[in-house]
Amino acid sequence: MTVLLEARETLALGDLELSPMTIETPEESTPHEPAVEVAPVGEPDDVRALFEEQALQYMDQLYAAAMRMTKNPADAADLVQETFVKAYTAFGQFQQGTNLKAWLYRIQTNTFINNYRKNQRNPYQGTIDDLEDWQLGGAESVTQHTSTRSAEAEAIDHLPDSAVKDALQSIPEDFRLAVYFADVEGFSYQEIADIMKTPVGTVMSRLHRGRRLLRGLLSEYASDRGIAAAPATGSKK
Amino acid sequence: MTDCGCDKAKAELEEYIHNELTTGEAADIAEHMATCTDCSGEHLVGLTLTAKVREACNEKAPADLRSEVLLKLREIQTAR
Repeated sequence: MTVLLEARETLALGDLELSPMTIETPEESTPHEPAVEVAPVGEPDDVRALFEEQALQYMDQLYAAAMRMTKNPADAADLVQETFVKAYTAFGQFQQGTNLKAWLYRIQTNTFINNYRKNQRNPYQGTIDDLEDWQLGGAESVTQHTSTRSAEAEAIDHLPDSAVKDALQSIPEDFRLAVYFADVEGFSYQEIADIMKTPVGTVMSRLHRGRRLLRGLLSEYASDRGIAAAPATGSKK
Repeated sequence: MTDCGCDKAKAELEEYIHNELTTGEAADIAEHMATCTDCSGEHLVGLTLTAKVREACNEKAPADLRSEVLLKLREIQTAR
């Protein structure tokens, strides 16, 4: 009987696409009896092997994304582990031949939003898309200097990774993730929309605004450090 | 294939960089940028931004995370 029960709960875990709230952690739903070698006919070993072979290769990338989400190594490692556990439990729902990496990112993003984001203080959360750029602070003062574009590119190019990471961490989370998914992972707007559960238009807006903020911060950083005289540019009129 | 002008090129530059345009649209923008230093400069900054972000986000998962995850998966399998 235990086996049947568990099977049903496993199915529930598969409703990842429906609503973030429907995801339960396996820890909560797994009975404590150590069912000794019940292995329901064949499969499990194969399924686990398949999962390990297909999914674990994305661990570094998921970890890098988790760092952008949680901002610290311990939480990032926890988030990645939880993502793999949930993905494994729901692996039966994954349609072979579709984009596994995007599927994993969807689970991780969901998990992050449910478990971590609610613990963070962010008065703007949920309405960040509605804010004007000047309300976000940071790189709002911009001027157009057409002649210095190549100098600006060069200055940005010379910045250390740490400066880029700091700048990324300082922009609003939804913008940051859109930038990460597009620029690091190369996901299409539609894939990002699926991962972030938001319309494509919102993805575009987040990506544009995130990159504009980032550019302003990096140009500012570069000119502060005297890396090159490059005023921040790129405002929308 | 006609030069689309700065307004259109600037408006769609992000989509151009992220490969979200049709071949025709992308060709129009490329053609404009070939003769416009302002827009090609913007393009260069945009590409640089992408390259830097990608370069900065190259963390490797800690070595023990992999073994922890493998262990966890085995636990789950056994518990089934």
